[in-house]
Amino acid sequence: MTAPTTTDGRPNPTRGLGAIWFQVAHSAASSARLQPAALVHTGVHYLIVAVAITTLWTRAADGHSGTIVGYRAGALVWYLAATEVTAIAPPLRLIDRFGADVASGRFELELLRPAPALWVRVAAEIGTSLPRTAVCATVGAGLALVIGGAPETPVALVLVGPALLLGVALTIVAQHLLAAATFWLLDSRTSWFLYQKLQFTLGGLVLPLEVLPGSLGRIARLTPFAAMSYAPGRLASGHLEPGWLLAQVAWLAVLGLVTARVFAAGERHLGDGGAS
Amino acid sequence: MWRTAWAQALANRRSFVAQMAVMVVNDLVWIFFWQVFFRRVGSVRGWTVDDMMVLYAVLALAVGLVLGALANLRFLGPLVADGELDGALALPMDPLGFLALRQVSPVSVGDIAFGIGLFAVVGHPTPARTALFVAVTVAATAVLAGFLVVLGSLAFVSGTGGAGDLGLSAIIVFSSYPINIYGGALRLALFGLIPAAFVGSLPAQLVQHPSPGRALLLAGGVAAFGGAGWLSFRLGLRRYTSGATWTGV
Repeated sequence: MTAPTTTDGRPNPTRGLGAIWFQVAHSAASSARLQPAALVHTGVHYLIVAVAITTLWTRAADGHSGTIVGYRAGALVWYLAATEVTAIAPPLRLIDRFGADVASGRFELELLRPAPALWVRVAAEIGTSLPRTAVCATVGAGLALVIGGAPETPVALVLVGPALLLGVALTIVAQHLLAAATFWLLDSRTSWFLYQKLQFTLGGLVLPLEVLPGSLGRIARLTPFAAMSYAPGRLASGHLEPGWLLAQVAWLAVLGLVTARVFAAGERHLGDGGAS
Repeated sequence: MWRTAWAQALANRRSFVAQMAVMVVNDLVWIFFWQVFFRRVGSVRGWTVDDMMVLYAVLALAVGLVLGALANLRFLGPLVADGELDGALALPMDPLGFLALRQVSPVSVGDIAFGIGLFAVVGHPTPARTALFVAVTVAATAVLAGFLVVLGSLAFVSGTGGAGDLGLSAIIVFSSYPINIYGGALRLALFGLIPAAFVGSLPAQLVQHPSPGRALLLAGGVAAFGGAGWLSFRLGLRRYTSGATWTGV
């Protein structure tokens, strides 16, 4: 059997990309699991945000006979508990960190490895996010059960797990796409804030897309941000709409392709002496 | 010294303006959220969109003043835990004041501009309301600063500066929502443990519906958390040990 890594810890070039990707993700997940304090910090941070926003919507629904924009109060709690996982579980400041690595030349060293630097990075970030996702989802389910009661459609809840994982993966790939601006601009910190706000509004992070005015809600549904956050939220709120999983996979493929192209161009730019 | 901190922050003027602008956009998205939310729900437990705009103006200005103009308060815990107060202790001035004024954060300065602008545009700024707005914002700033100093001072005892991040996150998140939505123990905690009520809701209510009772309560919050901050830092300094490393080489 071929070793997954070489003796100095680099991915073994004789292994396929899938095996390397899995190995990197697995290592990152294992390291994240070995930092319980960081996981507790993530869980508490998630709980603070989730308690505040779910309480607001619950009180709003209370004032409207328990139902608002087609969601009952309990369903809204499940919706928000799921969407917040996709915002808090992915590693924070990924775009900032990538920008710093490009500016310091560290990313150029990664290009010397036999495996594609982009996908090794994506694998590591997804691996790191897995325990965080598990912690947030567990806290969220507990909170939703306490505040919102039992889920309205338990069958739909089965789809929430895969939807959350796909949502987190989408978030990570999309952040790499924005981070690629660093190849040309050097400073891409502002894109982190803008990305957050797009996920906030078009992703339905703190308000279901049905609340958005006019056609904005319909347009938002067609964006990858809806696939990131609204999709798991919609499923968690009891809407048995498995089509959202397909939309997530499709967006993951599209964003993955675009990100790979942009990174290839960026890496060529770095090779030509840019951004240094 | 504060002038030096501002000069450093303004050294790259384009970057300073860009970072401020990003924070303004960030705040505008929250305003969009509240406008859409209240358009749909009308009011929540007596809170209307007008009340919420005043809350957000006070909060943005107070947070901007503490995290922007007194940016180092946020990092007090790690500074204490790493034994990096030596330089401040050697100076002929109050070490807490020196640490607080040493750094300016351009991103959070955007909050200051936004808070003032928001009140000017949607806060119905008569002279009396403006005076009240300034007074309650000073009070909210003092409470937030005092709370951050208490959190940072915990590092004198615990030896780690990790409490600051979660505490800051908690007070900013909870103060961003009307206090009336919370009930029972959580509501009490937001007055006594994590003083979010004194940073967001209570100052906003005082501007919107002035009353001596609310003014006294806010003054009490300022005295309690401002005093707790000052006292915890003073007591903590007695336990402080330097991070300087001496070797016999």
